[in-house]
Amino acid sequence: MHMATSELRGSSLKLTRIESVSADATVRHVDQLESETLDTFYTALEGNRPITTAEIGLNAGDIIVGPEYYRVDLM
Amino acid sequence: MTQYVIIGDGISGSSAAETLREKDPDAQITVITDEGEPLYNRILIKEHAKGKLPEAPISIHDEGWYEERDIDLSLNTHVTSVDTDAKVVHTHDSGDLEYDKLLVATGGTPTQLPVDNSDADGIHHFWTFEDARGIREHAEQSDTGVIVGAGLLGIDFAAVCGAQGIEANYLMRGDRWWRYALSADGAEIMHEGMRDVGVEPVFDSGVDHFETDDDGHVTAAVDPNDERYECDFAGVAIGLSFNTEFLRGAGLEEENGLIVDEFMQTNVDDVYAAGDLTRFYDVLLGEQAQNGSWGSAKEQGRIAAVNMAADDEAEQFEWVSSYSITHFDFPFLSFGHPTLGDDYAERKYSDTEWRRIAFKDGKIVGGVLIGDLSPQTAFKQLMREQRVVADQKEVLLEPSVDLDELAPTQEQ
Repeated sequence: MHMATSELRGSSLKLTRIESVSADATVRHVDQLESETLDTFYTALEGNRPITTAEIGLNAGDIIVGPEYYRVDLM
Repeated sequence: MTQYVIIGDGISGSSAAETLREKDPDAQITVITDEGEPLYNRILIKEHAKGKLPEAPISIHDEGWYEERDIDLSLNTHVTSVDTDAKVVHTHDSGDLEYDKLLVATGGTPTQLPVDNSDADGIHHFWTFEDARGIREHAEQSDTGVIVGAGLLGIDFAAVCGAQGIEANYLMRGDRWWRYALSADGAEIMHEGMRDVGVEPVFDSGVDHFETDDDGHVTAAVDPNDERYECDFAGVAIGLSFNTEFLRGAGLEEENGLIVDEFMQTNVDDVYAAGDLTRFYDVLLGEQAQNGSWGSAKEQGRIAAVNMAADDEAEQFEWVSSYSITHFDFPFLSFGHPTLGDDYAERKYSDTEWRRIAFKDGKIVGGVLIGDLSPQTAFKQLMREQRVVADQKEVLLEPSVDLDELAPTQEQ
């Protein structure tokens, strides 16, 4: 389910590693992320820390293909 | 009303079409492609071939996307020639199209190995979504593999073999993978990544010829040392040949790609080019360069469209590219032009962390980061600023790069 970015503003997001992807998912490769978003993505992975919608151009439900597959979830 | 024709519906052509419609709402825009489907995500098709991603999320545009923007999309259409004097594009069986401004964004076709049986069944090249479907289908039924091409494209085949449970040998001509950008220390991390997924790198090798069975299916690759590697699956990725045959006689300057300036203009009036097939003037590098990354192709398409619509040199292409490998359990990022430069700095931090920075005239022009990508934003910023920093390698090689630690820029 996708929510508008405005609904998420100020919310915290987390990255959840997933094993499979549904046909209706929105999927992006890390090479499609802006440089700063890429930094935030990897920092969040390493530190396992939450990220806020203000610092990352991602929506809840988005799937990011990095070394593994990760789903952006609302905390 | 201006008539724009775009040949190619990859990310550069599609990005150009979208930008043209924004800039010139009344224009007639036609996109021609010889593929049978609209724009898809080319950097995700390897995930489909690995068996990890279904087809649907890889599609980016359906035909409705073009209809909504009043863009004519012509699928399965083969351009035979372009008359740049009469400003007409000739197609095989879809008639002629007149243009006021033309964008060539036709990309490339994988190069075939010039050895015996290189066209045998079971030997794959990897560029289109259709290629990925065929690779996935065959890989799921295969047991042993051979991979040829020790670069960024070849490693995708290694990942497919690893993910699909194919025991494979990766035959490389030199002593390491991507020898033009990685030293032995950096390459060894990648070699370990390959071994971890069941792909064995073989050095000082290559392919002299392939062997086939009576049905014409590949059964083995024989290298120049006469070593024989059995396989029922082979992946070849030794480079791209650019799709410019239809431009023969059109007067466009070519030199291993179409030559364009920083505005994506070719040497022929009202003909532009964008994407993988360009040799563009890189304003950060100060010379002609090439780049096959997704972001670069998208931006080149946008820049070409801005200048086409303006009928002027309105915006120049200035871009620091990124190319990631996401097949192993550590991240890998190549940025800028890591194979160019006149000076280098590198350091190994652990068995999975390594960094190399390439400099030209004291400025960063590219690099490779393995394991820890955190300095990438700082390095890209220094590239954009064209700051002379090669005399401060120790700061750049610190595990955590702090730009405030750099000595102030000297007045030139």
